[in-house]
Amino acid sequence: MRVFVDPDLCEGHSKCEKSAPAVFEVRDDDLSYVLLDPVPEEHREGVERAVRVCPRGAIAMTEDNE
Amino acid sequence: MTAPAWTLEDLNLNAPDHFERGEAHEILRYLRQHQPVHWNKEWQGRVGFWNITKYDDVMFISRNPELFISSKNISSAYPIDESEIDPETDGQGKHLITMDPPRHVRMRRLVNKGFTPRAVNALEPHIRDITNHILDDIEHKERTDFVLDVASQLPLAVICEMMGVPRKDWPLMFQLTNKVLGSSDPEYQDDIPAEMRGTLEGARMTNKNGRLQMFEYFQQAIEERRANGGEDLLSTIVESEVDGQELTDEEIRWFAFLLIVAGNETTRNAISGGLHVLSEHPEQRKKLQDDMSLLPSAVEEILRWVSPVMHMARVATDDVEIRGTRIKKGERVVMWYPSVNRDEEVFPDPYTFDITREPNDHLAFGIGEHFCLGAGFARLELKVMFEELFRRFPDVQVEGEPDRLRSNFIGGVKHLPVKLR
Repeated sequence: MRVFVDPDLCEGHSKCEKSAPAVFEVRDDDLSYVLLDPVPEEHREGVERAVRVCPRGAIAMTEDNE
Repeated sequence: MTAPAWTLEDLNLNAPDHFERGEAHEILRYLRQHQPVHWNKEWQGRVGFWNITKYDDVMFISRNPELFISSKNISSAYPIDESEIDPETDGQGKHLITMDPPRHVRMRRLVNKGFTPRAVNALEPHIRDITNHILDDIEHKERTDFVLDVASQLPLAVICEMMGVPRKDWPLMFQLTNKVLGSSDPEYQDDIPAEMRGTLEGARMTNKNGRLQMFEYFQQAIEERRANGGEDLLSTIVESEVDGQELTDEEIRWFAFLLIVAGNETTRNAISGGLHVLSEHPEQRKKLQDDMSLLPSAVEEILRWVSPVMHMARVATDDVEIRGTRIKKGERVVMWYPSVNRDEEVFPDPYTFDITREPNDHLAFGIGEHFCLGAGFARLELKVMFEELFRRFPDVQVEGEPDRLRSNFIGGVKHLPVKLR
């Protein structure tokens, strides 16, 4: 799967980093960055949670076959 | 449980009485169980709307800000006859909370760097200083009104300082906020004839008076900033551009209005509500005071429990189905946060107050496009306040019941008598 953070929406709440620390990193500019592309299947649960709990709805994921 | 005093047919959540009497949770639980998408009939010239009481449905609405728009206002009460709307004091589409994407995103970006967790946490030492000054002022007292003397003072000071409102004007900001957000409550209707107090028309008058005074105040401040510049958030907004255009005075007045009102009313009620709920659950309070490292999760549980903002409304821009019920284009949906935060399908034992609850994905701040801009400040103010309060007044006790605001929008506490030691 591939994961994207919309920098126009992200406000650095870091819920994604807590849900999937290997996938997301919130840096000094208060934006979250996706560290892996593509994101290995083992992180699916964490990424799905990140998408669900992101306060701003800033995270999107696509499947490899899309 | 005794049979409810209302039926699904005549249940009306526009009536503030249910909330003043503290019946809201019972009604919302009934709706979740029996009709989670419930048609609330029109009432006193106000349109009918759908009461939305389930967590997943509020998520769906919040995640689709183009299908469910905010620009037809965010209160459950909307006039059937739109000619009743007063263009001077009606905020439809004029400020962040009533604005839709894409403009909402661009306007929000003018200020949101000042509200990120990192920016907020840098202010912690200062917020602690303010808190201790507030507590110094009650040091000599035996008893106090916790809302007036403590809970209201911290968020008021923080937002007023950010906006560059001088200290002498803080009581005015407090008073005008009460008029705007507490306009249905006779206590704040001292500006209208006695026989109008408690009526819908009276509420409209008080609300309008509060807004006009706030606008007048900020018009002067805007002109002052234009002439002299400044370092505060108001100056930033005055100097900002969206799509290459400076904001109009009207847009800036609305911006200032929203930040002041939202910044001081909501956290006030979370602090008061927090002390109240902790006092009602002495074993949880003891657990917290024995180990203050539990405070961050206790703050989340206080937010879930209190849900200081009770609803936000949206209007559907297309026909859409929610939980098998057809919502028609143009109809209003009202999301009830105290309900979703006790949704049995999301929170195990939702009526148990548990300061160690984990996970605790409450929606007290909403979610998505309009997620509360000030959430970081609210969390920090709650944390610092309870740290300092319990450090200096470990035996503080609530005496008596909270005096609740007559409102279906703000879960407000007007007065809370406490014994300090």
